Amino acid sequence: MDQKIGVYICSGCGIGESIDLDALSAVADEEFQPAKRVVHPAFCGEEGAGLIRSDVDAGDINTVVVAACSGRVKTDVFVFDPMTTILERVNIREHVAWCQPAGEDDTRMLAEDYLRMGIIRAQKTKLPAPYQEEIDKTILVVGGGAAGLQAANDAAAAGYSVLLVEKEPEMGGHMAKWNKSSPTKPPYQELEEITINELIDQAKADERITIFTSATIEKIAGAPGMFDVTLNNGGGTHRVGAIVLAAGWKPYDATKLERFSYGTLPDVITSVQMEEMAKAGKITCPSDGSEPSVVAFIQCAGSRDADHLPYCSAVCCRASLKQSVYVKEQNPENKVFIFYKDIRTPEQSEEFYKKVQKDGTVFIKTDTAQIAIGQGSERKLSIEAVDQLMGEPVLVEADLVVLAVGMQPAVLDDPILNLQYRQGPALPELKYGFPDSHFICFPYETRRTGIYTAGCVRQPMMSSRAGSDGTGAALKAIQAVELTAKGKAVHPRAGDVSYPELFLQRCTQCKRCTEECPFGMYNEDEKGTPLPHPTRCRRCAICMGSCPERIISFSNYSVDMIGSMIKGINVPDEYEEKPRIVGLICENDSYPGLDMVGLRKLQYAPWVRFIPLRCLGSVNLVWIADALSKGIDGILLFGCRYGDDYQCHFVHGSELANTRMTKIQETLDRLMLESDRIRLEQMAIDDYEKIPKIIEEFTARLQELGPNPYKGF
Amino acid sequence: MEARIPFLEVSDAIIYSGAETLYWCMQCGLCTGTCPYRLVPGPASEEFNIRLVQHLGQLGLEGFESENCLFACTTCRACVDVCPRGVEIINNVVGMRRMLAEVGTIPPSLKTIAGSLHSQGNPWSGPRDQRTAWIKDVEIPTFSEQTEYFLFVCCTSCFDARSQNIARSVAKALTAAGISFGIIGNEESCCGETIRKVGDEQLFQNLAQANIQLYNGKGVKKIIVTSPHCLYTFKNEYPEFGGEWEVFHYSEILASALSEGKLKLSGSNAGAVTFHDPCYLGRHTKLYDPPRELLRNLPGAELMELARTKNKSVCCQGGGGRVWMETAAGERFAELRIHEAVASGAKTLVTACPYCITMLEDSLKVLGKQDELAVKELSELVAERT
Repeated sequence: MDQKIGVYICSGCGIGESIDLDALSAVADEEFQPAKRVVHPAFCGEEGAGLIRSDVDAGDINTVVVAACSGRVKTDVFVFDPMTTILERVNIREHVAWCQPAGEDDTRMLAEDYLRMGIIRAQKTKLPAPYQEEIDKTILVVGGGAAGLQAANDAAAAGYSVLLVEKEPEMGGHMAKWNKSSPTKPPYQELEEITINELIDQAKADERITIFTSATIEKIAGAPGMFDVTLNNGGGTHRVGAIVLAAGWKPYDATKLERFSYGTLPDVITSVQMEEMAKAGKITCPSDGSEPSVVAFIQCAGSRDADHLPYCSAVCCRASLKQSVYVKEQNPENKVFIFYKDIRTPEQSEEFYKKVQKDGTVFIKTDTAQIAIGQGSERKLSIEAVDQLMGEPVLVEADLVVLAVGMQPAVLDDPILNLQYRQGPALPELKYGFPDSHFICFPYETRRTGIYTAGCVRQPMMSSRAGSDGTGAALKAIQAVELTAKGKAVHPRAGDVSYPELFLQRCTQCKRCTEECPFGMYNEDEKGTPLPHPTRCRRCAICMGSCPERIISFSNYSVDMIGSMIKGINVPDEYEEKPRIVGLICENDSYPGLDMVGLRKLQYAPWVRFIPLRCLGSVNLVWIADALSKGIDGILLFGCRYGDDYQCHFVHGSELANTRMTKIQETLDRLMLESDRIRLEQMAIDDYEKIPKIIEEFTARLQELGPNPYKGF
Repeated sequence: MEARIPFLEVSDAIIYSGAETLYWCMQCGLCTGTCPYRLVPGPASEEFNIRLVQHLGQLGLEGFESENCLFACTTCRACVDVCPRGVEIINNVVGMRRMLAEVGTIPPSLKTIAGSLHSQGNPWSGPRDQRTAWIKDVEIPTFSEQTEYFLFVCCTSCFDARSQNIARSVAKALTAAGISFGIIGNEESCCGETIRKVGDEQLFQNLAQANIQLYNGKGVKKIIVTSPHCLYTFKNEYPEFGGEWEVFHYSEILASALSEGKLKLSGSNAGAVTFHDPCYLGRHTKLYDPPRELLRNLPGAELMELARTKNKSVCCQGGGGRVWMETAAGERFAELRIHEAVASGAKTLVTACPYCITMLEDSLKVLGKQDELAVKELSELVAERT
């Protein structure tokens, strides 16, 4: 496309009072000779917006550069067909007029550099050609329990074909073996019947749902929109568009809990065994078949215990409360003890806890990991514990002991999906073996595009929540197939039609891209050449940052684009109180944070030129070299928090950037530069108040170091 | 430490004895933190942990029976008002005491009280035929079918020399207000409120039945009481046994007479006064305004509030049977109130309960603060100015 650039400079919102717009216009006119250049007091108003639109409609302009407010606002006004028109928003309001003193030379120079960078970015942008292939919109649901059935039924109800794969001969999962469920309805007093059969019947009756029982997955090859799922035992290969993994959970192995004599004393059982016994009709002692008159529950049996499961499974308290009702229902004279660390009854379950208390269940607070269970003298078993509310040991005799064991994901030692991915057959896990992508912002997301988790495979939860999880994951799967069909990215860059394009002739098979992609986008051939699967891509451009040969780029994002923007910055030859800093910042958290600084009218030094990036993980080291060799005095990188509680939208982008920066020491040494000239800060949007101080400190440090010796060359 | 063995049959017996909400307790300990025993030193402060007492009860374990533990509770209700689980803590205490009372293991000092109640119908070992000795030279009408209110005088004010003045003052003030009232006389028996709290349920029911029979036989419809304890049991506990009357604390009657202009107050300046809310008038019955209305209208009165007032009032330690038990000087709640009253700047500490008067006057003397502060019953200040 032959670019016809229009530069539209807004003077509203205090911009005109702050910045010398004649000088800014001159920069556009003299350095870039745009087809059009207009100054107007309100491009967001009817008249101003009309001006741009008529230029575009008349064909005078196909590349719109709006120098005005943040690109995060007024997105409904500045919107053009992305397939025919390039739009670039230059933020001279929040990032200049609102955070710098009006009328100053430095303020003008800041605005000029932002305009230069914006026009260069527009010049380096190509119209996208979306990646569109023949795709299948069938949804594969793995697991026929509470979550999976709900996902299958909801996806079918929305009109999608569903393949439901269940490894057992019958569907229903754990729920089918359950006796009752704890209360889910006000006033949260009465146990409820298990209703999983309704979901099973619904799935069986729906002709859009094809059910495979006693079936497992041999392998899954391909990518969203074109997954090829091969079932075992001659179940054939089926093409699907997206996958919901609802494989459920398994109880923690109680034989590891030697202290509780599980496996040696037959009347010590798990909560799962208790439930199945209640379902069968009668609670008895396994040793002799007699009915117990005293039953003790041990909570956190192996849970919240560094030697076993460090986490809380969230459901065991409610399960034991429920089972204590079974015991009392069997014989109202029966006694129940619950040994607990803390009773955790989220949602409205506190009401049920109160009911169980009122009905006379005895609660003993103790460090349950220290409980010793042995043979009793008057009853079958003895339980010794320190009653923390009394400060003394107690000895309770019981006929039956129930260990409330925690939940572990079904994928713990079986990948289940058997993905044919270069990065391995399983979904990457986050913590404790649960495959999750981001536990705060993005439920159901995994680190494999088009594959979503629902129910206890992703997090311990009650069956009622697993059901709504199934709905949520089904909706994510539907979004995935629909966006993929249009060649668009899914969350978090939903709708992005660009995708990575590789100039493979120059590839050295270093495998950095195939290893570092957080989403396993690349497979490899036997030589190690990357085999991109564009529909797996989330468009974070971490591969672009990783590539030492710089052969990966997007139509609207490239190494050359950002490098050219950096080179476009006007660096004064004289250092005298005019250092120049490049700020490479994450567009997801740091850029909005910087907007917040402007909105709050906080002031900061005028030396930094901020460039928003898709992810800090997309920083290519050549940009650092470009900047330093151009005479830029320092480089600030703002990325999301990393570590266990990471906040990166792309899992480990900021962490990768940090790793790369530590490796840049070598480059700096070669350039005879100090490593302090580069600083990486972890930042969330609500850290915005720190930004002026970080700039102040960094500037002071640069002053100590003195000007970049390459300045002026 | 030897492990203790829970004995749930005992727990069942406690619940059967009235501790119906024993298992509602989730052991958060807010009750213990709120308990006024945290404000004083001494063995009861160290031993009496109401949270733990209830836990022992839940497990059917021993260890709460002593005078300084289960019997320390004054039933002041401070804990009940803050309990997040709505546990009827006083009922739980009473249930546990009742279970002990049934096997005769209550503190020895309380046995004498029970004996006197059995034989004389009052806890103070006063001869039944001396119940109306408080009248002395005052003229007190006898209740008849034409009388509007039956005036029930608390046993304490019938027999205790100091407290008798309260009875006379109430009668004088009621007369001045033109209220139609009368007493029945020596046939009246103790209301039984406090012995019930101690755990002697049978004795309470005997007393209640005797009173109900007597009052109903006389045609009583409305009762004025001199003590908030009698007020509480007549209002809340007697209906179950057939005693259904309108029951008023004298301050309610006098306050409305005052507002209607029937009661006129004149005479000496009352000066700076402050009010100690009795637990059974305040937290138990929620009557905070009538006594204050009367105080504000005393000639020359300036009402100051204590630091802990109304529903935050600190118990005098006379309830729940403690009035009949010994608490060492330096460990008494009433001492806290005397200090607080002195700090408030008031010259007179007023209250409206015979137990409170006993406890507060005692501590006033022990602390030697008689020169700085006087303790008075509300009715006395009113009667002096009619």
